[in-house]
Amino acid sequence: MMSLPFVLFACGLGAAWMRQRGVAMGFWVVGLVTMLVLFRVHVTEVLSIQL
Amino acid sequence: MSGDLSRLLNAVGLLGIGTVLALAFIDQIWFRDLPCPLCILQRVGFFAAGFGIALNIIFGPKPSHYGVAIIGAVGGAAIAMRQILIHIVPGTGSYGNPVFGLHLYTWAFIAFVVIVVGCAIMLLDDRQFSRAEPMSVRLKPLPLSALLLFLVLAVANIFSTIALCGAGFCPDEPKDYILFQSSP
Repeated sequence: MMSLPFVLFACGLGAAWMRQRGVAMGFWVVGLVTMLVLFRVHVTEVLSIQL
Repeated sequence: MSGDLSRLLNAVGLLGIGTVLALAFIDQIWFRDLPCPLCILQRVGFFAAGFGIALNIIFGPKPSHYGVAIIGAVGGAAIAMRQILIHIVPGTGSYGNPVFGLHLYTWAFIAFVVIVVGCAIMLLDDRQFSRAEPMSVRLKPLPLSALLLFLVLAVANIFSTIALCGAGFCPDEPKDYILFQSSP
């Protein structure tokens, strides 16, 4: 699961290498959303910062 | 600034990001400093940011490519900042070994800020966008090397993350590679 964004960005780079800019941008968007979803999943606790 | 100079500067930037990711790998393999989930997501952030720079190298400089790099860097910076804040209160510990007095997540945050500022500086020069780049342009050795290094690191991170976490989520404080653990 955690390797999914790397897979998406690698596919995007491959698409860019093949000069498919739209496809590459699509992979980047999905990769970014995956990164943010995984970040949200791992932010489970309130920060213990008492000022 | 010509399109060629812009490509060259983008190649230097991508090599910089590749160096950061390679050093993280050396820390992981040589010093057995296994990455936590947030550490892995910061690596993802570097790929999200470097992707825009790679697009600049392949397709020629475009404002939208710098936008891709900036959005990726801001996402990565948010993840690094979260990890800094987890450990910012004295007595709350830290994760991993410090390098030159700072932990890797602090260095990562600094690197993301450098990427954002670097892209902003590059965006100041409009002349790089004035000429339409031919789609069949051949890449010079430095940009090609930067792209290949970036692609190899992306593939290496796929295998490394699968080895560390398997098919699911990563443990908060990994002690060993899940894939290489012998079943009881």
